[in-house]
Amino acid sequence: MIRTGLLAILALAFAQGTALAQMRAPSASEAACEEPTLRCATKATPAFGPDGTLWLVWMAGGQVSVASSRDEGRSFSAPTHVTTKRLSLDWGPDARPKIVIDRNGGIALAFSTFRDAAFNGEVFTTRSADGGKSFGELKPITASNESQRFEALALDQDGTVFAAWLDKRNRIVAKEAGQKYEGAGLFFTSSGDGGTTYAEAKLAREGTCECCRLGLAFAAPGRPVVIFRNIFEGGVRDHAVMTFTDVATPGEVRRVSNDDWQINACPHHGPSLTVAPNGTYHVVWYTNGKARKGLFYAHSRDEGRTFSAPMALGQPGRNPTRPYVLASAKGTVMVWKEFDGEKTSVQMTISRDDGETWSPPKTISSTSDTSDHPLLVSNGKQTYLSWMTKADGYRLTAIEDQP
Amino acid sequence: MRVRFAGLAGLVALTASVAALAASPALKPFERGTWQSVLKGHAGRPVLVHFWGVTCGPCKVELPLLGQFAKDHPEVDVVTVSADLVPNLPGATQSMLDKAGLSSTENFIFNDGFVERLRFEIDPAWQGDIPRTMLISREGTVTTIEGSAEMGDLEKWSAQQLAKH
Repeated sequence: MIRTGLLAILALAFAQGTALAQMRAPSASEAACEEPTLRCATKATPAFGPDGTLWLVWMAGGQVSVASSRDEGRSFSAPTHVTTKRLSLDWGPDARPKIVIDRNGGIALAFSTFRDAAFNGEVFTTRSADGGKSFGELKPITASNESQRFEALALDQDGTVFAAWLDKRNRIVAKEAGQKYEGAGLFFTSSGDGGTTYAEAKLAREGTCECCRLGLAFAAPGRPVVIFRNIFEGGVRDHAVMTFTDVATPGEVRRVSNDDWQINACPHHGPSLTVAPNGTYHVVWYTNGKARKGLFYAHSRDEGRTFSAPMALGQPGRNPTRPYVLASAKGTVMVWKEFDGEKTSVQMTISRDDGETWSPPKTISSTSDTSDHPLLVSNGKQTYLSWMTKADGYRLTAIEDQP
Repeated sequence: MRVRFAGLAGLVALTASVAALAASPALKPFERGTWQSVLKGHAGRPVLVHFWGVTCGPCKVELPLLGQFAKDHPEVDVVTVSADLVPNLPGATQSMLDKAGLSSTENFIFNDGFVERLRFEIDPAWQGDIPRTMLISREGTVTTIEGSAEMGDLEKWSAQQLAKH
């Protein structure tokens, strides 16, 4: 009896030891390695500079770094570390560092961190005026230190940097008034000096879903447009767009689709938006609503007042996720992930008629381990898939022309 | 323990670790195949599996309610799974479970960087939104509650499970 008991104890002890070892094993991490190098990045965000140089900002080993490539992502310059110490970077599924590059080559960055044990966020910004060789001191995007996450940056034609994010500062006001506070506020600001300093933050909309990325683009010079998961009446977390009158004046909330996803949860799965050169809004999103479930696409030719009927994307049995859309003069491209039980693939479809018809989806990349969201980036001539994968590293793939 | 282990420092350390484990069950790693083990391990009993995460606002509100439910319903096997992305935070996870009165339930934490694969094993349609609760009857019928569960619904379900017994 004793023997059996001891064996059982030892077996348990070893099992526990194995379990702990597994908890620490690098294979359990999303990252391929723990250094601040691109190879170890879990999230990498691209942008082309005015001279056609590709810039990447990534998070790896608790740091944010940038590097550039002049050969379509085959090789990169020595990285510049934007952060000087390991930070508690926001590792939520929809978080990632942001980058915009102005016509003079100035680089504005933004990223979010967890600033306390309760996972309240803080968004920091910085700028490089010397072509990415060095970056200024990190500055909080706003004086409020309540909680901010899911920042988005976009560059206006005149070089103004517009920023929007989700901010929970008003939960204090609500609590003091004995009121329930749901979700987060959509806040915004802009910078007239390329991202060195930002104007005082303003509220665009209270009661938005607090845990999904935003989509941000310019509808026209001076007129940013944001897509976000809103909380409609009854706790319905469906998507909406807001077109600003100017960079300081929010517009109306316009519903993209009536999916009827009533849920008190964090979907961790935000939308994507692009505005075509002719002004058409193209949007993609995920829902699990009563009216529809999965990934959907729609477009609007009247600044979001009305949208086309939602078009489903992807194979339902293959868990389509993380949609992204980008319009250019040559067409509109959408990508998303699918998973077959072993491999994740990136599916691509392209429209040559402003979103009326789409090519059959095609697999353009795949990987056998975890991966970042698939992103699209354009240099004005060519659109590329930008994809960070754990097993295969960073990939930049030209979207081939479809017949 | 009277058997002479004293000379074997390694074994002493191991048994100490086991003793600590017995006092406060550690978080178990949730990996490939764990879902099937959970289903098999609790087969024939009503099971409530709750997926949550430390960064999820609605989860923070729901967790203590679930702690009370677990206390009130010993006939239901309550299992929690912290389903945040890796790097997951065992310290923060355990602390929130302890505060919610869920220290002694069977608690897992996602421990595979390839979360898509873990989620696919559980439910191919699940895209990672949390909280999420799966109610598994004695017969193996699964009812999924997306978002925060209403405690009234959980009470109703557990009463049905008792009635069937």
